[in-house]
Amino acid sequence: MINSYLQEIQSSDGKFLDELSTRDGQITPKWVKLANYYETVGSEKVAEGLEQVSRQLRENGVTYNLYGDRDGLNRPWNLDPIPMVFDAKEWEFIERGLKQRAHLLNLILKDIYGSRQLIRDGLIPFELIYHHQGFLREADKIMLDSELQLIQYSADLARGSNGQMWVLDDRTDAPSGAGYTLENRAAMTRVFPELIRENEVQKISSYYQTLKDTLSQLSSTNIENPRIVMLTPGPANETYFEHAYLSSFMGYTLVVGEDLTVSDGHVWLKTIKGLEKVDVIIRRVDDVFCDPLEFKGDSQLGVVGLMEAVRQKNVLVINPLGVRVLENPGLMAFLPKLCQHILGEDLILNSVATWWCGHTNEKNYVIENIDQLVIRSINAFGETVFGGNLSSSEKTDLINRINTDPYLFVGQEVVDFSTTPSWINNKLVARNAVFRGFMVADVLEKDYHVMPGGLSRSAPEQGVFLVSNQSGSISKDTWITGKRTDIVADNPVISPSRKLMRQLHVMPSRTGERLFWLGRYMERSAYTIRLMRMALLAYNEADEDIHVHEDVVLSALLVSLTNLTGTGPGFTEKRTLKNPEKELLSLNTDIYRIGSLAHSIQSFLSNGYATRDRLSLDTWRILESVSNELNKVRKNNASLMEVYDALDNMVIRMMAFYGLNIDNMTRTSTWHLLNMGRFLESSGNFCVLLRSLLSKKYDMETDKELWENTLRSNESLVTYRYQYRSNLELRSVLELLLITESNPRSLVYQVLKIDNHYQEMVSKEFGHSTELSNIRKKLLEAVTKIRLVNIDQLCTLNEKKNNYPYLIDFLNDIERLVREASMLISEEFFNHTSSRFMRIQTAQLPEI
Amino acid sequence: MKYHITHITDYVYQSPSSLCHNTMVQTPCDLPFQQVESFEQTIEPSPQYIQSTKDFFDNEKVYFSIEKTHSKLTVTSKSVVTLSKPNWMDVVPSETQPWEKVQQWLQTTEAMNDIRQFYLPSKHVEFPTGIQEYARQSFSEGRPIMEAMLDLNHRIHSDFTFTPGFTDISTPVSKVFETKKGVCQDYAHFTIACLRSIGLAAKYVSGYLETLPPPGKPKMVGADASHAWVALYIPGLDWVEFDATNDLLVSDMHVRVAFGRDFADVTPLKGIIYSAGNQMMKVSVDVRRPEELDQLKQSV
Repeated sequence: MINSYLQEIQSSDGKFLDELSTRDGQITPKWVKLANYYETVGSEKVAEGLEQVSRQLRENGVTYNLYGDRDGLNRPWNLDPIPMVFDAKEWEFIERGLKQRAHLLNLILKDIYGSRQLIRDGLIPFELIYHHQGFLREADKIMLDSELQLIQYSADLARGSNGQMWVLDDRTDAPSGAGYTLENRAAMTRVFPELIRENEVQKISSYYQTLKDTLSQLSSTNIENPRIVMLTPGPANETYFEHAYLSSFMGYTLVVGEDLTVSDGHVWLKTIKGLEKVDVIIRRVDDVFCDPLEFKGDSQLGVVGLMEAVRQKNVLVINPLGVRVLENPGLMAFLPKLCQHILGEDLILNSVATWWCGHTNEKNYVIENIDQLVIRSINAFGETVFGGNLSSSEKTDLINRINTDPYLFVGQEVVDFSTTPSWINNKLVARNAVFRGFMVADVLEKDYHVMPGGLSRSAPEQGVFLVSNQSGSISKDTWITGKRTDIVADNPVISPSRKLMRQLHVMPSRTGERLFWLGRYMERSAYTIRLMRMALLAYNEADEDIHVHEDVVLSALLVSLTNLTGTGPGFTEKRTLKNPEKELLSLNTDIYRIGSLAHSIQSFLSNGYATRDRLSLDTWRILESVSNELNKVRKNNASLMEVYDALDNMVIRMMAFYGLNIDNMTRTSTWHLLNMGRFLESSGNFCVLLRSLLSKKYDMETDKELWENTLRSNESLVTYRYQYRSNLELRSVLELLLITESNPRSLVYQVLKIDNHYQEMVSKEFGHSTELSNIRKKLLEAVTKIRLVNIDQLCTLNEKKNNYPYLIDFLNDIERLVREASMLISEEFFNHTSSRFMRIQTAQLPEI
Repeated sequence: MKYHITHITDYVYQSPSSLCHNTMVQTPCDLPFQQVESFEQTIEPSPQYIQSTKDFFDNEKVYFSIEKTHSKLTVTSKSVVTLSKPNWMDVVPSETQPWEKVQQWLQTTEAMNDIRQFYLPSKHVEFPTGIQEYARQSFSEGRPIMEAMLDLNHRIHSDFTFTPGFTDISTPVSKVFETKKGVCQDYAHFTIACLRSIGLAAKYVSGYLETLPPPGKPKMVGADASHAWVALYIPGLDWVEFDATNDLLVSDMHVRVAFGRDFADVTPLKGIIYSAGNQMMKVSVDVRRPEELDQLKQSV
């Protein structure tokens, strides 16, 4: 394996440096141990390693979302089992360079939002800052009480053909990747423990500990026990997985903008218990999206009034707003001089060669050499293009734009990134790679901590340089091997479980609502699946030449499907009943049809995804497998038989989801809300189903078949047979299903469960109160009505109509009470979220 | 000249709001040719939280929130301001320095950042094709800057038609340039775009203009509402103000409230309201001399 790799390098044009192979075909010292290992174990073992690593990540639900691609949501995260390697010596150099760069950028930042002397003195061109979108005038002169203003910082680096490490990009606004890095390392440690030990791979946990310490340190000046939240743009964001993962690992509450509100100049978290003051916000929302009042008026991701709270120092936002001004390729051209001027030393890590077009000579150079350069906007979200790839008209257009607004453009040299061994298509091949390092301020030491590791990414194709997650790169764990010469003790890993407990004490209303609906959709899906399977079975077993609408049992099942899913008219129309296949498929597969099984399962999944910081790892795995089954159901041209098989698997997985939560979930609000949703849904479904299947009388045989189906759909057939050991009769069926409190599938049991969970949560969260709440009144009314019901009366037939009027009324009554209780629960706990306010910009041009 | 100004902003919401957050820039400040004798402001209903800060451009910016249910918001700002004749009134325009010298000077670090920032494009001030050529008709080679500016002011005034209701906040300069229609904001943004497109530093000024004309003089456009005009930086004179809407060199009848890159920096009142329906805004401005007020009182 290694020999063919070396040969590949030797036979290449030698344009790129390789991490494993020297120019004359020797193995570099840092790769010797690893190369031996791979040679010894062989391809099969590496392939197996990839399999295990991928499974590990998949099962942990590690994903990376792609914007603008519905099916791209939750794409699995790719990890190459072959790491990127730096030895301790080269790392010490990189580390020193990154530290210096962090300090330098921090001092530049302080100047930009302070006296701006560097601009005044001409060391930083005026336009580079004042014309940059990241220069937030609203953030001017607002400082953290710390020498270090730049708290989190990451940089993308690559090794050029001369062996030097180049900085390609500085990320300062809301740098991402530290969570994926942690997951990558966890997966690698699980799969290759001995390899990590033998190579003395440095631990990365100190990074997260320093971040934690720094945040407490920054906020401890005014508060003893700060409330720290992580602000995410939400589940649709490309790195949402990381936000959920990091927040639960660090023990911070994960929130979206809607969870927060500004009142009295302070920031508050809307919880199911009311408002709680927030002291620190770690933001993953981009700067100008953070406050629609002062920045982008149409942002739905931010918090109105946040900037005022920041100005009054009532809340700390990390990284501080305004830091994006450092994400500025134009600045790279001036760093060497600035480093000399500010720190009095040479810049250790060079940036990729950069020409800023705001100066005439540089602009002319860029335009003359446009074919050999990368042209970039100085703004973070601006364009990046290879001049050489442009058509001549595109080129003319670009040159025009450079001439019109030269300040906005830089030209950069193309760096030939070094290649490193990568496992692609079951083969060890050389691919260009980029490394992202992570720095965090240690405010107590007034120094920066560099994570001894990081996130590397390699291109899937040969000779490709533009490496980004959006364009489909493969991630790599990054190993710093060998002992440090200036060894420091590694801090113990933060125990996630312990922190998780503490965090659960706060339940944002929106999260609570999601959990409630997670429970509801779980139950709705399970109910629909059970009924659907029975209907499909009956349909598939029916004779070829049967007229569906004349088969009473099958018709009743189909009509109850329509009722249960609320997708009428559906099977209540004769023509649909005559040819049910199309409607059946639609009810199973149409994800956009509200009430369809696919829609319910999708809603179950998306609520699960939005609350994933509350759910255990094992639960994520089940969500993942439910999602796979759903895809099978939805795949093109699936026959009803295939659907039936997939439903079988699905119901088992749904039950596993529930079972796992019974076993694993601590009995906090999370648990209670999930279950209140679940039992509310099942009580309601129960009433609908019984009304659809049992309210009419037919001939003896049909009745029995319907009763049996009713029992089966409620998973009570076995219990019935065990308990009554007799033929089916309506009275016993109703007794077992309605009032038998020992039967966990009975209506009375379900409604009692809602009440239990409600009561427990309220007494835990709010303490006892003497007066019954309106919610409890509704629930107790329902329970009492069920307990007092006269079963014989329910079985009284209206001879004229041939139906059971008392039963119908009774079921309607209970369904109404449960529905009212559900609405009251929403009002009591989620009222902050239920009314999503319309935001109106009041800025208008006066008439004149 | 002394003026009493009453500036009332009314918002009426279609459905009640439980929460609103606002920022406001409508506090006149002391300036070289302007003294603020008194200023008072009332907000109805009274805010739960109110805080005032100096913004990046040294304007007084007020943030306030109302956290109880309300259907109407009224802000009343009353000020008494005395204006004096600015130093630029005595300058002979043809004796000012060539505009290119100013443009070159701005490119150097001799010029303060606070001045230089006003030659860059901004949210409402972009450079549509042809605008440089339009500006250069007045700013011909070597022409004294003030003379060129007065010429530009005059040309805009005669080329453009004052048309209330034709434009709104989102109308870009390019559209204004194309149709040559708009209100004072559009005149100001367009003038600024002309100046910045040729590398000069120009600010947006928001303020007020006297409501009633002196006897025998016509009533001026821009009265009865907030007004906007332009300040051009000329070394030695500092910021010199021009009003293209009235084809004027600003003297002692323009009350200044705030300075910024464009309207977005100095919006008199903006906010975010948590409410389901629409809202209506009404602004009224009344600017009078003290003697007029006395007459008014007597007649009542």
